[in-house]
Amino acid sequence: MDKLRRLSKPIAYVVALGVLTLSVHLPPAQAAIVGTEAVVSAQQAAQDRSRVQDMLNRVEVKQQFLRAGVEPSHVTARVDALSDDEVHQLAGKMDQLPVGGSDALGILLFVFIVLLITDILGLTDIFPFVKKPSRR
Amino acid sequence: MLNTWAARAFSGGLFVLALWLSGCAAPLQLEHLAPSAFPEPVEIKDVVFFPQEEYQCGPAALATVLNWAGKKITPDALAPEVYLPERRGSLQLELLADARRHGAIPYVVRPLLTDLLAEVAAGDPVVVLQNLGLSWYPKWHYAVVVGFDLARDKIVLRSGLEARHIVPLALFERTWRRADYWAMVVMPPEKLPRTAEETPYLQAVVPLERLQRWNEASVAYETALARWPLSLPAQLGLGNSRYALRDLAGAEQAYRAAVGAHPDSAIAFNNLAQTLADRGRWQDAEAAVQQALTLGGPHVETYRATLAEIRARRAATE
Repeated sequence: MDKLRRLSKPIAYVVALGVLTLSVHLPPAQAAIVGTEAVVSAQQAAQDRSRVQDMLNRVEVKQQFLRAGVEPSHVTARVDALSDDEVHQLAGKMDQLPVGGSDALGILLFVFIVLLITDILGLTDIFPFVKKPSRR
Repeated sequence: MLNTWAARAFSGGLFVLALWLSGCAAPLQLEHLAPSAFPEPVEIKDVVFFPQEEYQCGPAALATVLNWAGKKITPDALAPEVYLPERRGSLQLELLADARRHGAIPYVVRPLLTDLLAEVAAGDPVVVLQNLGLSWYPKWHYAVVVGFDLARDKIVLRSGLEARHIVPLALFERTWRRADYWAMVVMPPEKLPRTAEETPYLQAVVPLERLQRWNEASVAYETALARWPLSLPAQLGLGNSRYALRDLAGAEQAYRAAVGAHPDSAIAFNNLAQTLADRGRWQDAEAAVQQALTLGGPHVETYRATLAEIRARRAATE
């Protein structure tokens, strides 16, 4: 079971890649309006390759959202709302990006003292009870 | 004796350590800001205040600026769209994406204190990401800047449970600098941010297309054209969104402006051709797509397909 779980990600990639190569290569080119993104996107070169990469990134970001506890019914809409560039920035890196949440700090005594001093010096803004110094 | 010496050394050491750990050596942008740049105090008083529930400063900040942009919405309604339960917070990119889902244009302000203040002075509240703690012990937080007073050294924020959190400017800049000076305004499509630049603004608008918010997109492209009349992405975007709305005459007009100002844009010729074909003007359509093929470029396969389709449709009708 555990093994299966470890394999689920590579399998998902292979399946996604298979489906995508089909959908990307079967209809060669369609007469169509060329989207505006083509003229403003930073990375317009190598379009076909990046299209596959974009889809893989979206699969990856979906999994990251699920792992972060987002309701499955909300995940698709949230990933769809991201542009390709944004998905590219998130894929595989989400854990390192800051999330603004005003987390209540579980503070060690040492850290408490450091933060108290930096608050008093006007370098941080953790404790509401510290009167912040003004520069002028 | 030894005890007091040790205590003194300890507290002194802690003080120096605190300075070092907080990395406060680099000069602040504030030092280069002339008070005469913004002589008058500013405060946008009508900005709504949503006291945040636990960890929910992302939804609260976003709801604050979305309401300012005319979208009636509460933080509770936004939470399922931007909150990450396991991480107890919201990503910057999701705030941007979600603003678009509600038909507004999120614009990331340049990482400059002067630009932040200019937006507020222009009457628009600005969402900022702050690290209220230290780089190695972060406490990430979203707040909304609604006012400032350089002479009195203060900045006013909608923040957490405080409707008017007043912070000295240097302290604010330090907490903001630790979040890489990230700030965004959320605009209705008909209004350009005060500090907007052409390419970043259009990059903020284009993702509305994948959400099929064509009405808002077309208005935003018109807003961009009012400021940058010759912008190729704005002309194309206006044509593309009108085309998607089946306003073929309007689309043709926008594409004609695009090929007039940018006779080297194959994409503009292709899209004009597609529109003319949809209007049954086969000859003009074919001439336009031939021009696209002559110019070539990365989408040449699409232009060939457009030409083939025009010929096939023409043959079917004649």
